[in-house]
Amino acid sequence: WPRLSASHFASRQAPSRDAVRQLCQQCFSSPPAGLAALAQRVCPSLAAGPEEAEQLVFALHNLTRHVVYRGLTKAEDVLSLFPENFHQNLKNLLTKIILENISAWRNEAQASQISLPRLVDMDWRVDIKTSSDSISRMAVPTCLLQLKIQEDVALCGNSPVVSALTVELSKETLDTMLEGLGRIRDQLSAVANK
Amino acid sequence: SSQQFSALTELLFRFLTEPKEVERFLTQLSDFATMNKISLGPLKNIVKSILLVPNGALKRNLSSEQVRADFIALGLSEEKASYFAEQWKVNSPTLTRLAVGQTLMINQLIDMEWKFGVTAGSSELEKVGSIFLQLKLVIKKGTQMENVYIELTLPQFYSFLHEMERVKTSLESFS
Repeated sequence: WPRLSASHFASRQAPSRDAVRQLCQQCFSSPPAGLAALAQRVCPSLAAGPEEAEQLVFALHNLTRHVVYRGLTKAEDVLSLFPENFHQNLKNLLTKIILENISAWRNEAQASQISLPRLVDMDWRVDIKTSSDSISRMAVPTCLLQLKIQEDVALCGNSPVVSALTVELSKETLDTMLEGLGRIRDQLSAVANK
Repeated sequence: SSQQFSALTELLFRFLTEPKEVERFLTQLSDFATMNKISLGPLKNIVKSILLVPNGALKRNLSSEQVRADFIALGLSEEKASYFAEQWKVNSPTLTRLAVGQTLMINQLIDMEWKFGVTAGSSELEKVGSIFLQLKLVIKKGTQMENVYIELTLPQFYSFLHEMERVKTSLESFS
């Protein structure tokens, strides 16, 4: 959970409102992986050391995302996120900026949010069915396919749930599936060649 | 009479090869009963017993010779037993295929649909403009169908395709 401390802002000149606004936007939009680079870019405009800039950027990223993903809408809720000794004016400014941007940021998050579960791994095996209750001797090959699926990351936060699904495909089903996959490949080639 | 026997046998095998046509079978049976002036009740009982033979033969993978021998042991005339065994031979590929089709499958894949998606949002900057594949798998779990939705990146898709082609090669080598 974000640790915005007053010291991040205390020792330097307050940046302009617009600069703060822009910083909040950038911190919200950036994926976690891009924050370090963002910190480096904004370092000079903050007149802060690289470490401080990074801490600040991370804190703002977490704060803005927390507000959007938790669906906070009231000023009191946002204000309560700041630590007690936080610079009052800055706290109010940040809260104002965040509240102004909430619905735009929510749209942004939804547009990019991949809400379907993702495939993370896949294994297969071919078995030969030799006997069953309806026929005592046969030799029918069949495919067992195990898909490891991860649920929507945004919903699971830091502990994504991965489930394993095993499906069985007969030879006919596999042939049909391969036809479908072939069509997908053709469509992709057509797009790539445009 | 042998004519009646062959007509009845034909009826039975038509039902066995299309086990879903229960109504039709029952209608044909009662027509047969009327035409030959046999009462339906006893006829149904006889038919039930006769039907046990092909089903048992399937389960035990009996040859037509064995089926013929079984019938003779049950008291049927050689002629009729041979006729039945012949019919069995002719129909057994279909019957075998049906029995195999009834064999237990675990979460059988019934259908697959797909569409492409494009990420355009700016809060995941590295994914701007990337294509991904959304698959919907229809799976039979026990008696119910379930839809499973999964997303794959393009590299995952190509890898999946490659693996499925390997599966096909493997399955073909066993056929």
